[in-house]
Amino acid sequence: MNVIQTNSLTKTYNGKGGISDVTLSVGEGIVYGFLGPNGSGKSTFVRTLLGLLQPTSGEGYILGEPIGTTKSREKVGYLPELFRYPDWLTGKQLLEAHAELCKIPVRQRKKRIEEVVELVGMTGREKGRISGFSKGMSQRIGLACAILNDPKVVFLDEPTSALDPIGRKDVRDLMLYLRDQGKTVFLNSHLLYEVESVCDHVSIVHQGDMIVQGPWRELMMIEAQIEIVTDQPISVPMPTFVTHVEKIKEEEARTRWGIQLENEDDIPKIIQYLSSNGIALYEVKPITPHLEDVFMHWVNQKKESAYVDH
Amino acid sequence: MWTISKLTFKEIISKRIFLITIIMTLVFLALYGTAIYFAGKEGTQVGPNGVQGTETILVQQFISSQLLGVGLYFSSFITALLAILSSVSAISGEVSSHQIDTWLMRPISRAQFVWGKFVGLALIMIAYAVVLFFSIILLHQGIGKEWMELDIQPMQMIKAVSVFVIQPFVLIAFGLLLSTRMTTLNAGIVSIVLYGAAFIGGFIEQFGALIEKAALVNIGVITSLIFPIDSMYRKMTMILFDSIDNPLSLAQGGMFTSVSNPSNVMVWYAVVYGIVVVFLSIYSFKKRDV
Ligand SMILES: Nc1ncnc2c1ncn2[C@@H]1O[C@H](COP(=O)(O)OP(=O)(O)OP(=O)(O)O)[C@@H](O)[C@H]1O
Ligand SMILES: [Mg+2]
Repeated sequence: MNVIQTNSLTKTYNGKGGISDVTLSVGEGIVYGFLGPNGSGKSTFVRTLLGLLQPTSGEGYILGEPIGTTKSREKVGYLPELFRYPDWLTGKQLLEAHAELCKIPVRQRKKRIEEVVELVGMTGREKGRISGFSKGMSQRIGLACAILNDPKVVFLDEPTSALDPIGRKDVRDLMLYLRDQGKTVFLNSHLLYEVESVCDHVSIVHQGDMIVQGPWRELMMIEAQIEIVTDQPISVPMPTFVTHVEKIKEEEARTRWGIQLENEDDIPKIIQYLSSNGIALYEVKPITPHLEDVFMHWVNQKKESAYVDH
Repeated sequence: MWTISKLTFKEIISKRIFLITIIMTLVFLALYGTAIYFAGKEGTQVGPNGVQGTETILVQQFISSQLLGVGLYFSSFITALLAILSSVSAISGEVSSHQIDTWLMRPISRAQFVWGKFVGLALIMIAYAVVLFFSIILLHQGIGKEWMELDIQPMQMIKAVSVFVIQPFVLIAFGLLLSTRMTTLNAGIVSIVLYGAAFIGGFIEQFGALIEKAALVNIGVITSLIFPIDSMYRKMTMILFDSIDNPLSLAQGGMFTSVSNPSNVMVWYAVVYGIVVVFLSIYSFKKRDV
């Protein structure tokens, strides 16, 4: 059974914005990245799944239960994008209230709260009032809240927006830890590196449309790009699998080039080709495409296919 | 549901405004006590040469009941304001701050959430109203000199206080309903204006009863049906001042007591009204995007 399943799920705000026609299925034990620029509808989608928004059309299921029902939210955790918690509570009281709402048996509550506080690195600080928490601390306590009930699926809406680099790594480790425990993590993000480092599967959304979905590596491999440094101009003609060459920078005796290839397998080929033609390579490094490039690639692809369809 | 009620309860108690309210209530009670004390001292001299004729007693009783009426009227006013202020933000406030997201994503229904809020608010406001009611009665009966003490049976008090708490009950239900759809500010304005309208409606009805004009009475009755607030206050004074010994009921006349007597049906109407409004709130909140 799919952990999350939607069929043409659509949520618009009076016909505008939101997200349209999303059909996806998310399996067990993976980190699923929902990637898109600002305003593409990521939060709208998650909030619809959690029953906070009323779907305009289509249907969705969480763990087989139709969205909007209380049952569909029993084994779910959520960290909202605008994480605001009642600031008159202490971190611990907040977790206690949520434990109560999740019907965690009284005897296990204390232990479970200690566990999750530990997991998000808030041990010792959970007794402070939330009003005195920094933004990062609030986000951490929100994460603790999201995993409190040992959920089967956790929705994280930009979970590192307020965190420092160490915090980001902690969150990444937490996501991998959850995955290794067989949980599903649904990650909303507009940060390429965040998605890249943890996600097994990705959807790309743009202006309320789902552009493409698939395994992360496949989507990213729209093209292979490398940067090389040579000591002379490249005088030999380039093989056909090179789609683009540009000079990036000339510094004294060295020249830096950007080279675009058809796919990853062409990287060793081009290195060998240049070396055998007597060009000395001082540096070769693969360039991860920019998120915008990946987006634009798939967005254009989608437009083209739409054009072909009609 | 109880978790939400408990949270609502705790939230109010933990806010600074709660402390301020308690202090201001004590100030109000102290002022009232002082007023009663001096009125009690001076009041004995009412009447020609302090002679205690029948007429004098009637005048004293009238003044005394008016003083109690004033105290209760302002208590009812304070309670109403607090009920309005606490309920109009109950849902809209949490929606606009997005705090509600983390509660509603839990396996609780919208209905449970609304009930939780309502019960939490109603319990605290009713407790407040009861304490205020008995404080006023105790001050009045205790500090006022002998002549001030009105003949009020315990049963009358219990009945009266039960009617007294219907007002915050209805106002909370109503504030909550508005809160599911409107911003806090708008809901607050609508509630207060309606409260004012109910007051004026009640006044017109009293006036109508006094000069025996059915049309005016009907206006009052209609406002009571739309917003059964003022009628509850008047019913409460009727119960309280309905002295068995006194053929001429003390409640007859005066600004803060009542001329017309709202029927018992009206009391039940108000209770049912409150409950229906809670169900309307649930209905209104059920399909709403937050
Ligand atoms: N309450 C609302 N009323 C009207 N339009 C809205 C509302 N919320 C979102 N939108 C619109 O819906 C679209 C998607 O918004 P959403 O918040 O889902 O985007 P997002 O992908 O989460 O963006 P971000 O990365 O900035 O968080 C946007 O165009 C936005 O303007
Ligand atoms: Mg968002």
